[in-house]
Amino acid sequence: MDKQPITLTINGREYNILVAGHHTLLQVMRDQLDLTEVKYGCGRGECGACSVLVDDENEPSGRKVVDSCLILAATMDGRKITTSRGLGESGKPNVVQQAFVDESGIQCGFCTPGMVVKSTALLERNPKATEDEIRFGLEGNICRCTGYVKIVDSVKKAQKAINKKKK
Amino acid sequence: MPSSRILPEFDLLLPESVAEAVKMLKKHKAKATVMAGGTDVIVSATQGFCTPCVISLAKIKGLDSVKYSKSGGLKIGAMATLQTVADNADVKKHYPALHKSAAINGTPQTRNSGTVVGNVMRASPSGDCACALLALGAKVVFEGPKGKREVSLDDFFIDYKKTDRKPDELAVEIKVPVPKKGQVSAFNRMNRTTLDLSKLNAAVCLIVERGVCKSARIAMGAVAPKTVRLVDSENLLKGQKINASVLEAISASVGSQIDPITDVRSTAEYRKEVSPVLVRRTIEEAVA
Repeated sequence: MDKQPITLTINGREYNILVAGHHTLLQVMRDQLDLTEVKYGCGRGECGACSVLVDDENEPSGRKVVDSCLILAATMDGRKITTSRGLGESGKPNVVQQAFVDESGIQCGFCTPGMVVKSTALLERNPKATEDEIRFGLEGNICRCTGYVKIVDSVKKAQKAINKKKK
Repeated sequence: MPSSRILPEFDLLLPESVAEAVKMLKKHKAKATVMAGGTDVIVSATQGFCTPCVISLAKIKGLDSVKYSKSGGLKIGAMATLQTVADNADVKKHYPALHKSAAINGTPQTRNSGTVVGNVMRASPSGDCACALLALGAKVVFEGPKGKREVSLDDFFIDYKKTDRKPDELAVEIKVPVPKKGQVSAFNRMNRTTLDLSKLNAAVCLIVERGVCKSARIAMGAVAPKTVRLVDSENLLKGQKINASVLEAISASVGSQIDPITDVRSTAEYRKEVSPVLVRRTIEEAVA
């Protein structure tokens, strides 16, 4: 099986690598590129621990959230990817990540990279999301610790901060 | 040993045009699996079900559009994601059954990767978009070595995960006809959690004029080896005013047209009990 040369731009940095055709984006990011902030949870698109943002010209924000365990790395040649590490400027937390810290939306932390990626995308798509829309939007990201209450509070806090900034 | 951490080895081919993809299918035939969004092909691979070769459509331009026109109806490209279809204003306005079947499917992540055409091509009997599209009278458009071929969904689903697709054909789009005057539609499903596959689902497409149903298409999934139309119920509804006694007759007619089994998702008894209710509710929702 021949490896394929691809270019991935992840968190603004270009990686020119050789990947096996059957390797998922998750596997390549974790095993080849040491981007271990992207977690392996279920490998089947149910838990969201592997969630990342990929470029999408149809989205108003220019990006959308996907499960990296359900994407083959070789199909992402030339694409731009953002992990939880790259959500904020220069490696600093973005508004959503800071809100998770402030509101105690983090316990063991395993779901958190996926949660903050999803929450960032959610608020970019729908800044005026109601609680019901937040909860619907968080589906596909599972947390075993918090019972989701503090996670929803964190998203709401981030939402307030984002909408305040816009004024 | 199947694993969700590392997929089994396969050759990944990335054609850059439909013609190139068709050439590859002509060469590999059933040894190749076509992959659009990957949300189904990859999960199958984690369970050990994979062909020696996978043909990804990711590099082919122009397959991801959703276009509606008053003359041509709706055209959904093979790579158009569930979210793209769910977000489309024309789909929401003209084909409510399709809109809902895409908008509540899976999770935001799988909707951003998975495709409507993929849902139909997979031909799982519990397919949500497949059910809505059967009710809406959709057609699949194939490109093959011998050229273009269109198949109505009425003829497409043959048996459990068996379709009319030939091994050297590539589904490039699904067409839905322009809604007729008085057309309404709706879709419903029952499942354990929102990202589960459906235990049962139902879709209706009715032509209604002054409270009278001129014609009906009623589709159900997960109650037979394939997505099916309830033709007897459709005939009962035809020409009738949609009122309580007609709906009761429709509900009573459902049981003899379905053949549900007990599986990991539900029991035959539950499916038999709930199907008549789901069909009635879906008709009520369509005409509301």
